[in-house]
Amino acid sequence: MDSSSALSQPNFYDFLNRMRHPASADLVRAIKSFIVSFSFHATDADNDSRKLQDFLVTMETTIKEHPLWVHASHEELDSAIEGLEKYVMTKLFNRTFASSSEDVKADLDVSEKIRLLQHFIRPDHLDVPRVLHNEASWLFAAKELQKINTFKAPREKLLCIMNCCRIINNLLLNISMSSNYVPAGADDFLPVLIYVTIKANPPQLHSNLKFIQLFRRNSKLVSEVEYYLTNLISAETFITNINASSLSMEESEFEKNMQLAKLANEETAARHGSILQLSGDDALTTRRHGKEIHVNLEGQPRYIMVKK
Amino acid sequence: MATSGNNIKNAKLVLLGDVGTGKSSLVLRFVKGQFVEFQESTIGAAFFSQTLAVNDQTVKFEIWDTAGQERYHSLAPMYYRGAAAAIIVYDITNSATFTRAKKWVQELQAQGNPSTIMALAGNKADLLEARQVSAEATQTYAQENGLFFMETSAKTATNVNDIFYEIAKRLLQSQPLQNPQGMILTDRPAARSVNTTSCCS
Repeated sequence: MDSSSALSQPNFYDFLNRMRHPASADLVRAIKSFIVSFSFHATDADNDSRKLQDFLVTMETTIKEHPLWVHASHEELDSAIEGLEKYVMTKLFNRTFASSSEDVKADLDVSEKIRLLQHFIRPDHLDVPRVLHNEASWLFAAKELQKINTFKAPREKLLCIMNCCRIINNLLLNISMSSNYVPAGADDFLPVLIYVTIKANPPQLHSNLKFIQLFRRNSKLVSEVEYYLTNLISAETFITNINASSLSMEESEFEKNMQLAKLANEETAARHGSILQLSGDDALTTRRHGKEIHVNLEGQPRYIMVKK
Repeated sequence: MATSGNNIKNAKLVLLGDVGTGKSSLVLRFVKGQFVEFQESTIGAAFFSQTLAVNDQTVKFEIWDTAGQERYHSLAPMYYRGAAAAIIVYDITNSATFTRAKKWVQELQAQGNPSTIMALAGNKADLLEARQVSAEATQTYAQENGLFFMETSAKTATNVNDIFYEIAKRLLQSQPLQNPQGMILTDRPAARSVNTTSCCS
């Protein structure tokens, strides 16, 4: 992958150091007032996104002409904007990430769907050719996706996705070189990515994808990076809409699998619930970006297994 | 990059076509066969980039492959959105893949950007004995639908460079380099908006 812009490590401390310099007082003022300006309005994802993108473009021009960056190279300037994006979005994170109740619901829905699919989906259902089966590589790729909530900055979240795609990419390239297998491009890549995403069940998948699209600098969401991001977005869409026909399964078989999966998950949840109760907690909790989410056990529909 | 962006036109090209039509073989043949000094190309599993010089101008193709399985068909709009060009690939030895190709053409005409340059590639043209789709009928179909059509062979390289060269030529004709509107350089402010109904829901 050639996207050096996505791979190079911008020096965040260099950015912070320059901001501490007395000559940057005007920049610091601009940044602070930008951050404060968010508290004057109710959260509105599209509007917030536009504001941030405009701000980054304006600041890029300002920094280019600023005395502190007079002799700066293209890379140093780029690194400064990366630092700015990271700083601002970390400060605005709580306001902008998973900020609407629709986002929270979409996150729960996709995660719940994946928890059911995990019980019965096999690579064949998605057209992953047998020659590409490689549990070890898939596990590494899934681990990268699972890291996504370790970071708050859009660039670093995006990097988790790129790393996951890179592992799959390498797997496909290696297999086409080491065996007689003719590479089939996206016919292979997308099914593997979908399978890996189901294995990973990445935390807050919907909100993470939305956050990256809204708040990663537009000029960086191009070319190869944009392609791989689009693939994960389409994986999410596919997973959300999975039904019997999208897995080439009989309707009755799909329903039966889903119900068995629900039952199994409920049993696990009930077991966890009793353990948590012993420790003085009455709900199953899952980590999501420092906040705790309470899964209401009573709220889940109950199913009775029908014996055939 | 060694060359400044001024003479390079970036063009997103999307590949559509059924499984087994050789979409990626076609692209690999093109990407591996080109050599432009100081220009890097990308050979990934599903994303490719390659530059092509046309007279004194250069087009950098960013090639987006799509999954051809029927079950992934509905995801295609996310990939062809904003594409400057599309190659719709079928296999001349398999008439079902041609039927599918015609579905893509229809869909792009209905939903895609009207300025997208569409090319129809009848691949596996080296397998003449097994032919199921006639070149003449396809030519008529292509003319009627305003596409350009070539029979290609990723195996023998027949017409592979030609189809990309023809697309590059048409891109430069329709959007000359002098026109800043037609260029996508490194910066693309405000070009992206999140369509929550189609990509995030």
